[in-house]
Amino acid sequence: MVIEQYTVTTQRYNFPQPSMDTSLPQRFVEQSIQSLRQVRNQTFQLNQHAIQQDSLYEKIPMTLQLKRQPLPLTPRSQETLIAAVDTSTIKIGETSTGIIIAVRGANVWKQNRAYRYKRLGPFIFHITEDNKKDLFKALEKSYFSTQYGSGHQSTPHLLQMPMRLASLLERWLQAMIAKVATNGILLFDGSLTSGTIDTPVQRMREILSTARRHGNIVLAFSKATSLRSNGYLITDLLPERDSPYLLETTGLRFKPPTLLLGDVYVARLNKANLAFRLDIDYEVPTQDRMEAVERLIGNDVFQQSYPETLRLAHILCTFTANEALAIQHFITRKHGIQIINRPDMHRLLFGSFGREGYA
Amino acid sequence: MKLYRKEGNILQVLSFPSENAEKGDYLLVEDTDAGKALIAQVIDVQFAAIPGVLEELLRTLPDGGEPIQGEDIDPLEIAPHITYIQDASLLICKIRATLENEMLTPSSSWLPSRSQSTIKKLSVPALMKLAKVDGKLPIILGGTKDSSLLTIDASAIDGTLNIITGKKGCGKSHLSKLLMVSLVGYKATVVVFDLNGEYGSLGMTNDGKRNMYYDKIHALAPGQNFKVALDQLHLNVVMGILIHALHLPGTSAREFRRLWKQLKDSGKLTLNALGEAIRNLNCNQHVKDALASRFHSLINSSFFTDNLAEAALLEECLMRAKDQGGAIIVNLKSTSNIDRQIVVEYVLGKLVDSLQSWKLKATFLFAEEAHLYLRETYWDDIVTRMRHFGIFTTFITNQPDTIKDGIYRQADNIFLFNFTNEHDLEVVSRAARVDAETVKCIARDLPPHHCLTLGRVVHDFPMVTRVRTLDLKTMGETRLFFNAAS
Repeated sequence: MVIEQYTVTTQRYNFPQPSMDTSLPQRFVEQSIQSLRQVRNQTFQLNQHAIQQDSLYEKIPMTLQLKRQPLPLTPRSQETLIAAVDTSTIKIGETSTGIIIAVRGANVWKQNRAYRYKRLGPFIFHITEDNKKDLFKALEKSYFSTQYGSGHQSTPHLLQMPMRLASLLERWLQAMIAKVATNGILLFDGSLTSGTIDTPVQRMREILSTARRHGNIVLAFSKATSLRSNGYLITDLLPERDSPYLLETTGLRFKPPTLLLGDVYVARLNKANLAFRLDIDYEVPTQDRMEAVERLIGNDVFQQSYPETLRLAHILCTFTANEALAIQHFITRKHGIQIINRPDMHRLLFGSFGREGYA
Repeated sequence: MKLYRKEGNILQVLSFPSENAEKGDYLLVEDTDAGKALIAQVIDVQFAAIPGVLEELLRTLPDGGEPIQGEDIDPLEIAPHITYIQDASLLICKIRATLENEMLTPSSSWLPSRSQSTIKKLSVPALMKLAKVDGKLPIILGGTKDSSLLTIDASAIDGTLNIITGKKGCGKSHLSKLLMVSLVGYKATVVVFDLNGEYGSLGMTNDGKRNMYYDKIHALAPGQNFKVALDQLHLNVVMGILIHALHLPGTSAREFRRLWKQLKDSGKLTLNALGEAIRNLNCNQHVKDALASRFHSLINSSFFTDNLAEAALLEECLMRAKDQGGAIIVNLKSTSNIDRQIVVEYVLGKLVDSLQSWKLKATFLFAEEAHLYLRETYWDDIVTRMRHFGIFTTFITNQPDTIKDGIYRQADNIFLFNFTNEHDLEVVSRAARVDAETVKCIARDLPPHHCLTLGRVVHDFPMVTRVRTLDLKTMGETRLFFNAAS
C-alpha cells in the first residue's frame, strides 16, 4: 500500500524544483542549435548599433488621474521571500538572410538575507524571414500549450523577434516562479499590461492566478513610464511627504485588446527622490497589496527607490560587451560563421556626424 | 596571437590564455607578403582591455561583500568563451631585430601587417641559431623555459667587462663559479678575489672527492700560504701599496723610493733592513713617522716575509695556470680592510707587470664586492687601461650602486638576477647594451637562480636562464643558526 504523505511546506523558496517543467529551455536549446546550423560556414556582419533591447513600447491613455493623497507605508520585517524575474536580449550581428541574437533570463531571490540567482542562457538564435514563424511557434507551443494570439499577430517582424523571444522566456520564468514560490512577493519587470503582441491576456491571467493560488503577490515595477496625468509624468508628481508611500491612480483604460490586469500606483519607497510605476494584481485585496509592499520594503534593500532583487535580476541577465564578444567567438568557433566587418553606412556617409543618435 | 599596436620599438600583442606567453619569451611576427619578420621579446604581460569586463566583475559583488551565490544554466556552454575572452592578455614586447633573408638586423623601422601577420613563439634554440650564438668554446649556462639549454661561447667573455648582479641569495656566486671553472676548462688563467672564502674548494665535488679542476685551483690565503719577500717586489708595486692602500703622502713616498733604491742597490732589501733604514733616517720627523707607521702596517699584515722559503710566488701560480689553465683564488676572507687593499694592490700590480712583459697573455679577473677593496682610481683603470693589458674583469655584487656608472656603460655582458628594489634596477638599467624597460620589467620577476643574460654573449638578445647546478664544493651558502641539521 502506498501512503501518500502530506507535508506542509515551509515558507522557503525552492526555485526551481527538479520536477519543474523544463520544456521551454530545452526547446530553446534545440531551436537555438537548429537555427545556428542553418548559417554554418556563412559570414556575418557585426551589429553596428548594439543596443540592449529590453524596454516595452507602451500606448499612452489619456484618462489617467493621480490621487494626490499618499498611502503611507510602514516597513514590515517579517521574513518574506522576495523573488524577481528579468530577461534581456541583444542583437549580435546580421547574416545575409537574417539576424543573430542572444537571449538570457535571470531569477533572483532573497532568502535568509542572502541573494541567490539562477540564470538561463544565453540562448543564441539565427532568425530569418523563413524560420521566424516556425521558431516562434515551436517555442510558444513547447511551454504554453494554448496559443492565445491569432496566427498573423503572433508572428512578428524580424526586428521584433529578439523582444518576442525574450518576452516568451520572461513569461515562462514568471510562470515558473509563480508556481514554485509560496507566500512570497514576486517582482516583475515592467507592467501588468496584457493583450499586447507579447503578452496575451489569458497568459498573464494564468500567471497571476497561479501566483495567487500559492499565496504570492505580484508587484510589477516599470523602470520608465510614459503614463501622464494632466500632461505630467505620473512619477514626477510627488507630494511633499516623507517616504515610503504609494500614490493611487484612477481612470486608466487602454483600448482593446490591451487590458490592464493590475492597478497602477506610483511608488516612492525610500528617501531618494525617485518614484516608479508599480502595478499590483487587481484581484489582490487592497489591504494585502499594501501589506505586500510593506513586506517588500522590510525585506529588501532599496537603492534609488528600486528593489535590489529586481535590480540584480536585471544586472545578471544584461549582456556585457565582453559577453557579446564571447558569443561572437562561440559562433565563429563552433558554427564556423565568419565575422565580416562591412562599413557602417552612417559613418561612411556622414563621418563623425553619423554616430548613433544623430542619424 | 594578434598584432595590436606598434609604438616605436614596442609591440603590443593580443594573446589568449591557451597561448601561454610569459615574460622573457621571444615572438616571431612574420609578414609573409613583406618577406620579413620582427623578433620581439615579451617584457610585460597585462590584462587586455576587454570592454565589459568591469561590469562582469561588478555584477558578482552586489554589496561589495561576498559574491552573489547562484547557478548558471548555460546549455550552449558560452561561459568558457566568456572566460577565454576575459582572460585575454596584452603582451608588451620589445622589438629586438628584423629577420630578412635569414639575416638579422637591429631594425624596427617597418610595420608588419596587422591583419596578415602570423605570430608564434620563437624557441631559444631557434633564436640562437638565427642569431648565430654558437662557437667552439661552449659554456652551458642553464636551461630556458622551453626546456632547451642556453649555451654561450667562452670567446664572448674574452676581452670583455662583465657584471653579475642581483639581490642576496639568488645565485650570483654560483654563476661566477660556473663561468670561472668553464674558463679554466678552456685553459684560461683566472684570478679571483674571493671575499668570503668560497672558491677555494672548487677542486672538490660536493661529496668531497677531487674533480677535474683539482690541480688547476690554486688557493692563496694572504699571511698563510701567500706571502711575498720584499726582494721579489717591483718598486712600482710597493709604491702602489703605500700610496693607494696605505695613503702615504707624496713627500714621504719620495723618501721611501730613495730608501728602497738604496737597499736594492746594496742587496739588502729585507723587512729588517727596511725597518732599520727607516729608524735611522735623518729627515723631517713627520716624514719619518709616516714611513714608520706604514712599515708597521706592512709588518702587521703578515703578508710580507724575509724568509724566501715561506714566500709563495704568485708569478709561479700564474705561469702554471698559463700553460694548463687555472684559477688563482686569493682568499680575502680573514684579512682586514687595510690588508685586503694591500693584497689586492699587490696582485693587480703583479698582474699588470706580468701582462706588460708578455709573461701572461691575458687574465680573467673575478672580483666579488669589489668596492670593499678596490681603490677609486682602479675602476677606470680596469675598464680602460687594464683591459688593454689583458685583464678582463667580472664584477660580482649585490649592491649595484657600488659600481660606478662608467662601468655599467662600458659593460659588455650583464648577468642579472632578481632585484625588487626600484633603485637597484634603475642603476643596472644604465648599462649601454640594454634598455631600461627590459631590465625593470623582467628582472623584477625573476625567480631565484634565474638569470637574465644581456649583452655580447647572447648577441644582444636578452635571455632568461635557470642557472645549472654544479657538482662543486662551493661553500657559498650562508651559515644559519636555525639549521635543520643541528
